[in-house]
Amino acid sequence: MFVRIERGVSTPISRQIAEQVRAQCLAGLIQPGDCLPSVRQLARELVVNVNTIVRVYERLAAEGLVEMRHGEGTFVLPPSTTTNLAADLKHQREQYSREYQAIVRRGLLLGLAVPELRRMLTATASDAKTQISKENSSEKRS
Amino acid sequence: MSAPAIRVDQLKKSYGSQQVLQNVSLNIPAGQTFALLGRNGAGKTTMIRILLGLIPADSGNVQLGGIDPAIDPLTVRSHVGYLAEDQAMYGWMTPIELCRFLAPFYPTWDMNWARDYLDRFGIPPHGRIGRLSKGQSVKLGLVVALSHHPPIVILDDPAMGLDPIARKEFNRDLVEHLQTSGCTVLYSSHLLDEVEAVADAVAILDHGRIVRTGTTDLLRDEVKQILLSCDSIAGTPPPEGLLDVCRHEDRLAFIIDRSENYVGQLIAKGIDHDVVDLSLDEIFEAFVIGRTQDWPGKPANSAAMSP
Repeated sequence: MFVRIERGVSTPISRQIAEQVRAQCLAGLIQPGDCLPSVRQLARELVVNVNTIVRVYERLAAEGLVEMRHGEGTFVLPPSTTTNLAADLKHQREQYSREYQAIVRRGLLLGLAVPELRRMLTATASDAKTQISKENSSEKRS
Repeated sequence: MSAPAIRVDQLKKSYGSQQVLQNVSLNIPAGQTFALLGRNGAGKTTMIRILLGLIPADSGNVQLGGIDPAIDPLTVRSHVGYLAEDQAMYGWMTPIELCRFLAPFYPTWDMNWARDYLDRFGIPPHGRIGRLSKGQSVKLGLVVALSHHPPIVILDDPAMGLDPIARKEFNRDLVEHLQTSGCTVLYSSHLLDEVEAVADAVAILDHGRIVRTGTTDLLRDEVKQILLSCDSIAGTPPPEGLLDVCRHEDRLAFIIDRSENYVGQLIAKGIDHDVVDLSLDEIFEAFVIGRTQDWPGKPANSAAMSP
């Protein structure tokens, strides 16, 4: 498992670690049944507070991504249980929301006014909707 | 949660007419790694010296592991590992001699542990202390602070004088040996990136007052920067917890503590705004040098939305 922490950025360290572990689980780089590094080992390796790592593992366990077996370690669970999908969706949406914020912020910095941004959103959304419905109907036909 | 390992209650200290600590209160639970943040002269070292019973407080109460250092400084010092900011050691001794010299003062001194540390920190055990580099002296100070297995460790700016690699090594030791063994650690630092990764909680000390305490995650959750247009909030009083205000023509960027409430109000009023996450660095800066006088008073134009 590879985790790289960026320091001095606005994303909290616990979120950075959780996101990277999650991404590697979802991408299959860490397989179901694999054992994650122990809390102590990862804390040492990343030079991060032990409790932060505990919190990250607990969060991933609550999402149904991993299972903390007492005295044995933390193991990756097989994907596609419903809880997993729901949690995955929730996080994808959170991630999306952050990206969206960044885009809007950049627009403001570039001197685009809010009404302009709103116009862009409306136009893009209606375009995207038509496109998605076209794709859906062509899928149904085929 | 167990009783706090370090309890500071209404601590006051002045040097002459200068108030160095003004009603400082703090609770550090056992097993926590706690960072004391503040600029030079904020009162960090004074507080630490009072904790160890090295100097008396004017008023207030301090307890470490339930013991008051003002009454029983020796017991406190035997329970506490301490690294001073400007550790002065006998230059003519060798590190191993220093360890042997100190061992009888501490019933729990562990000579093997000391040797192990000297080895790991790359300190020549038989060279003269006076010839050690700055970084090596700091590390030797750490060896001395940790070799009696203290349940509480107090480090006054341990990172000062260490190069980046030695600092990382030191932080790694802190995580690996002190945190996992349930040691309570109080340390002062200026290096906020490192503090964020390593500390459970922080206190920001400014001009002798604690302006904020909390876990690093909590601070990040609660302290946010908000961007909006000046007109949309013109004429409203500055919100509670306002730390810093910055105006860029008609745009307003301000940092606010316990922001959730205010953001809720903005949403309820339908005021366009952005909420920006901050780094610990920016949060610290807002608390110690934030300026709020730029909060817009009168509406800039009559079309401004009424609050």
